[in-house]
Amino acid sequence: MFLINCPYCGERDQTEFSCGGEAHLERPKQPTELSDDQWAEYLFMRKNIKGIQYERWNHTHGCRKWFNIVRDTSNDKIHAVYKIGEKPPVKI
Amino acid sequence: MLNFSSPINKEKSYSEIKIIEIEPVAKINLRSSKREFSTKIGKLLSILPPAEANTSSGNENFNLLWLSPDEWLVYSNNKQQSLEEQIKLEEILFNEISNLNQGAVTNVSDHWVMINLKGNKIYDLLSKSCPYNFNEFKKKKGSVTQTIINHIDVILHNKDNNDLNLFVRRSFAEDLWLWLNDGARFI
Repeated sequence: MFLINCPYCGERDQTEFSCGGEAHLERPKQPTELSDDQWAEYLFMRKNIKGIQYERWNHTHGCRKWFNIVRDTSNDKIHAVYKIGEKPPVKI
Repeated sequence: MLNFSSPINKEKSYSEIKIIEIEPVAKINLRSSKREFSTKIGKLLSILPPAEANTSSGNENFNLLWLSPDEWLVYSNNKQQSLEEQIKLEEILFNEISNLNQGAVTNVSDHWVMINLKGNKIYDLLSKSCPYNFNEFKKKKGSVTQTIINHIDVILHNKDNNDLNLFVRRSFAEDLWLWLNDGARFI
């Protein structure tokens, strides 16, 4: 259990949010030109880092907006929260 | 508007809590990210949609709750409003906003059930199964929040000191009503 500072509503309990997985994955521009392995790589394979990870989260039970979080998966410490479309912080 | 007979429309009183369902109340959901939207709503309802998060604005007829940066909920203060008046209100908003491509207007009168809670211990009751910190919320009249109570999504509107309106989806209303009453017995 931890608190997340929603960029729209303010600080809320984690139970109000849902995690949307790794952030900043770029969809291939021409999926039809990819092999099945390349497509599967994009679609299913995630880094699942133990440490600092960039993630997408949704305030499901609040404003229902998506945003990004930089979270240390080993201790749930949140280093940064930023809106969709904003650039991720360079230094953590 | 549904012609329904609600199983929960009786007022329940406990030592320091009163709970009652307030129906029928017109509720309209507004969505827009256009600049002109705010002034348009101001003209139509004589209230401006709040831009600040977790706040509301209102006059003697309507309350306008902030739900997200581009979404608001209007609800009527007038319980006696007839079905024709409600439809007329929806039509005016729809014609002036949706039809002119300024945003979306959705009548959610039957989607949400409004439950009013009054009394000194209402926040003790809600805190039994709600992760939200009510410290700031209860001090500020007009504050709004969306959260979960007993795993059920709700919108809370602080109307006055120890007087709040709770909006819950119709299909969850009876479950939450029973939970509130059950919880209130032990406070």
